[in-house]
Amino acid sequence: MSDSQDLEQNKQEYQYTSNGRVALIGLFGGLIWGFIGYIAYLLNFTKYGPALTLDPFTSLVQFKNDVVKQFMGLFALMILSIFIAFGYKWILGRVKTMWISIAFGIALWVLVFYVLQPWLPGLEPVTKLDKNTITTTLCLYALYGLFVGYSISFDLSANDNDQDEKEKADSKQT
Amino acid sequence: MKNKKPISKRLKENKAYMEERIGIGESFDVGVRELTILSEPIEVYYCNSLVDSLLVTEILRELMRLVHEHKKVDRAKDVIKNHLAHEQVIEIKTLDEAVDNMLSGLIVILIEGESDGLVIDVRHYPGRQPQEPDVERVVRGARDGFTENIIENVGLIRRRIRDERFRTQILRVGERSKTDVCICYLKDVANPGLLKTLKKELESIEIDGIPMADKSVEEFLVKQGFNPYPLVRYTERPDVAAAHILEGHILLVTDTSPSIIIFPTTLFHHVQHAEEYRQTPVVGAFLRWARFFAILMSLFLLPLWLIIVNNHEIAPDWLKFLGPNNHKYHIPITLQVLIGEIGVEIIRMAAIHTPSSLSTALGLIAAVMIGQIGVQVGIFTPEVILYTSLAAIGGFATPSYELSEANRIVRISLILLSLFFGIPGFVIGSTLFIIFLARVKNLNTPYLWPFIPFDPMAMVAICIRTSMPLSSTRPSIVKPLDQKKMPRKKRWRSE
Repeated sequence: MSDSQDLEQNKQEYQYTSNGRVALIGLFGGLIWGFIGYIAYLLNFTKYGPALTLDPFTSLVQFKNDVVKQFMGLFALMILSIFIAFGYKWILGRVKTMWISIAFGIALWVLVFYVLQPWLPGLEPVTKLDKNTITTTLCLYALYGLFVGYSISFDLSANDNDQDEKEKADSKQT
Repeated sequence: MKNKKPISKRLKENKAYMEERIGIGESFDVGVRELTILSEPIEVYYCNSLVDSLLVTEILRELMRLVHEHKKVDRAKDVIKNHLAHEQVIEIKTLDEAVDNMLSGLIVILIEGESDGLVIDVRHYPGRQPQEPDVERVVRGARDGFTENIIENVGLIRRRIRDERFRTQILRVGERSKTDVCICYLKDVANPGLLKTLKKELESIEIDGIPMADKSVEEFLVKQGFNPYPLVRYTERPDVAAAHILEGHILLVTDTSPSIIIFPTTLFHHVQHAEEYRQTPVVGAFLRWARFFAILMSLFLLPLWLIIVNNHEIAPDWLKFLGPNNHKYHIPITLQVLIGEIGVEIIRMAAIHTPSSLSTALGLIAAVMIGQIGVQVGIFTPEVILYTSLAAIGGFATPSYELSEANRIVRISLILLSLFFGIPGFVIGSTLFIIFLARVKNLNTPYLWPFIPFDPMAMVAICIRTSMPLSSTRPSIVKPLDQKKMPRKKRWRSE
């Protein structure tokens, strides 16, 4: 059956790139939401742009101006986001509801704004932040979590379904 | 089956039944013609508003020719069937089938002493010629569009896909209207799970009739709830329909409607337009980006501007120049915007109902009187007119009419949220809006795919319009059985 052979080929290819897709999801998640965060920063919705990722190192490197700094931060965020995506895949990847993904994003926000805050010299404690900054960053983190988490769990479950269907088709043919 | 009345061998019984059931003699457009052919009485039942009289005359003339041939025959029915001058002749056993067929515009011939009826397809439905649909115009390309006739519509698709694996399955929906609904798909490509679900849903529809055709069917198939966003895509263009069939989508053609439903649909189906595929890829991609920008503008521009106006103290320096610098307006800005929004909506609705000969006058009134004079007498500030019009134009540039209407509702909600809760209101509103759309799933398809959940390759295909030879795979969201578009021969050669 040439038909089924073709289909199997496609699927092997699909599985092979699964990790690559997770990396891409992380990369683009960082890019898209980091960029929207930058726009929010430009509009003064929040005090912190994507440059927050570079905050621990600001004492080491001096940037020419704020735009360069923000874009370097965006770049760092994209790289960091790849690791976050893999982390999500290993810990929560099999959970199918999207609310878990949103909760994951909010948990990330708590991690950054409460737990990591002492190590980020530029970041004020949450009690001193204005409500615009808090809501905007919280929403961005929630959407980022939704984007990364939902994409990864959808990707994994799509793979599972494909395998199931393939097995079914195989058992039918034999 | 047990309730169905079989065709009696005695014509008188049949006639009495038919007269009572469909009201021959009461309704003017149903009737029966009695003849004697080969010394057997026969009856021809017809519905004259739906049959092609020329064809019927032709068939009757052939039968009458038999009267003059005084040959002895064993069985009149066989000879009559043999002499029916038409390609589509079927035999039926029950009077219920006779009624159904007759009321669809076929003619039914009953013969004395026979328990089978003959049905001949001589339908001729009132309708128009295919013409370019109003809402999906292109500069170049095919000018034909679907009509209200299901046969012609399927024919228009079939003309573009001569594949032997192209399937058109017909079903009937509606206890009284008995509307034909046709499922079109490629047998070796379309997702069998979706096909099964669709068929099951269609068969379980219980309703009197569906005069609003495709829209009524859609409401049975997808659960809309309070979601203003369109969950299926409609098209009136046969080329768009054929393109989607080749991609592995399943189409639903409903009789009496020129719009065809495409399954499954995501939000990004509604932001594409046939025109992008009629231009070179670069131009097409540019058109698409301009369109994306217009759609985003129709959603977010007004609320963002209002936020900057209402929170002028925290507006960034580079945007401080915006907004009404003359603060002598009398009506609060947000109220002005809402009045403007409703005004645009009223003008738009008026434009739909206005005959085209009067629309110039309407445009003049809308532009000059309302816009200009409204500013001069001090009801509106010029900025309000500018931003409201920009948002409205963004809405008109949205390819899908349904999507632009839904966006309008979201825009007004965002305006109200940013009025009452400022920046947090706008931000949380937008977030909830995205989460809400991501949560929508119709027929197992995430609505925001390929953005959330993210599919890099599919997203690329949406962001830049790829040229035909390069787009060799079908979108994975339709779960096609065969993912490659290219014919197998060519694929092997390239490997």
